[in-house]
Amino acid sequence: MRHRGVFLVVLLAVVALVLSASGATEFAFPLKTNSVRFAAIGDMGTGKQPQIDVARQMVKSRAIFPFEFVITLGDNLYTGSQPSDFEKDFAVPYKALLDAGVPFYATLGNHDKTNERFYKPFNMNGASYYTYRKGHVRFLALDSNYMDPRQTAWIEAQLREAGNGDWKICYFHHPLYSSATFHGSAEGLRKVLEPLFVKYGVDVVFTGHDHVYERVHPQQGIYYFTEGASGSLRSGNLAPSAITAAGFDTDRSFMMVEITDNDMYFQTISRTGLTVDSGVIHRTIRPAPGGVAHQ
Amino acid sequence: MSTMRWIRSRGVTGLVALSLCVIAPRMLAAQGAAPSKEQADDAAAFKEFSARVQAYLKLQKTVESSLPGLTPTDLPEMIAAHQEALARKIQEARPQAKAGDIFTPAACEAFRHASQAALGGPRSANARAYMQPGAPDPAMPLAVNGIYPDTEPITALPPALLAAFPPLPGEVAYRVVGRMLILIDLKSRLVVDVARLILPPAS
Repeated sequence: MRHRGVFLVVLLAVVALVLSASGATEFAFPLKTNSVRFAAIGDMGTGKQPQIDVARQMVKSRAIFPFEFVITLGDNLYTGSQPSDFEKDFAVPYKALLDAGVPFYATLGNHDKTNERFYKPFNMNGASYYTYRKGHVRFLALDSNYMDPRQTAWIEAQLREAGNGDWKICYFHHPLYSSATFHGSAEGLRKVLEPLFVKYGVDVVFTGHDHVYERVHPQQGIYYFTEGASGSLRSGNLAPSAITAAGFDTDRSFMMVEITDNDMYFQTISRTGLTVDSGVIHRTIRPAPGGVAHQ
Repeated sequence: MSTMRWIRSRGVTGLVALSLCVIAPRMLAAQGAAPSKEQADDAAAFKEFSARVQAYLKLQKTVESSLPGLTPTDLPEMIAAHQEALARKIQEARPQAKAGDIFTPAACEAFRHASQAALGGPRSANARAYMQPGAPDPAMPLAVNGIYPDTEPITALPPALLAAFPPLPGEVAYRVVGRMLILIDLKSRLVVDVARLILPPAS
């Protein structure tokens, strides 16, 4: 926390509970002009009915909350790398979103083939890790399968260049913090990435790999979400621990996010349209690594 | 100057030099003085390994230059066609390829030492826990100049292991299956070489 300011999470648990009980899907997003709105999905590329159900729910939700793009947290295609796999595991389930012009920004999971980076709908432009900016948010899409010194040097350079004005969001496949029992936290990866994230003020990290949803209490001021259940599911695999702020492991889910000036609103929706988690993260002005405050 | 810009400006020679710069001081720093014979042998073996990787890349680039370039496309058929054509042409260009062509016996020893240093002892549990769940089947068919099976996942390599190995150019990558270390061509998915019993056994 030395290197970062203070964040505040306001949970909307009562609202979520009421909405869940009623079976309704209602959004607390402010829908502000110039906000950045996106959805997050992970471990989805099975081509099976639950993935299709989640995709339909995304379309339904988008009518209320018009997210502009989708980030994927890896394992985009489980079955292989044949053209039919791209169709079955991606193009068909998300056809309605793709037809509506919603771009996807993918990362690679351990089930993905590296050549997926050449598939234009994944917007990877031939690279297994890359960066882009949407409004006042800097995104780093990383390749956690292969975190070699070259990639970590690139991450540091990108975060340094980003300064402290933009929100910084990193996403990749393997979770640095996870209470799921099948994989759990990738501690070796954490040793390498967390110091960089803390030093350069990364705000939020999204990952997949464990086939559950989990929101973790801020770790050194950084918010971590695992959304690895947008197609696959390990039912009952979440063993809530001291780091768990919220979790859901009984059905598939996806996330929706809106970032306004200094607030990030999030809502996690189940396959059947129930709100299983929601809240808002407030970002405050923080000192840059050199000691000069920016916003 | 960033590492990537430095590599780009020096090209292949730069990558080999960078490899030596990264590996050699690390090996020397371990004992703080002159390198032991084993460390000197390992540094030489890694240097030879990097040179053989570069020789492979030269062949790969020559072969690929005879094919239509692969750029981002909406058509997965184009990606599959490029992968298959590139693999077939590389297979034809190195019909005698066998295990040990790039992972020489001396390089295998050097990789064993580096793996032990990175994953052995107290670091072992975390590093191997990171690799094992959902790992590829160690019994899957793997052969030099064969295709890495399409349906198998890959093992995410611990960063500590990658930092201990000679850096590779972006066209190839290390893979781990069980205790085996593999050099894979990313675009063709060809297994370029395999080295067995490299990683320390699970404790």
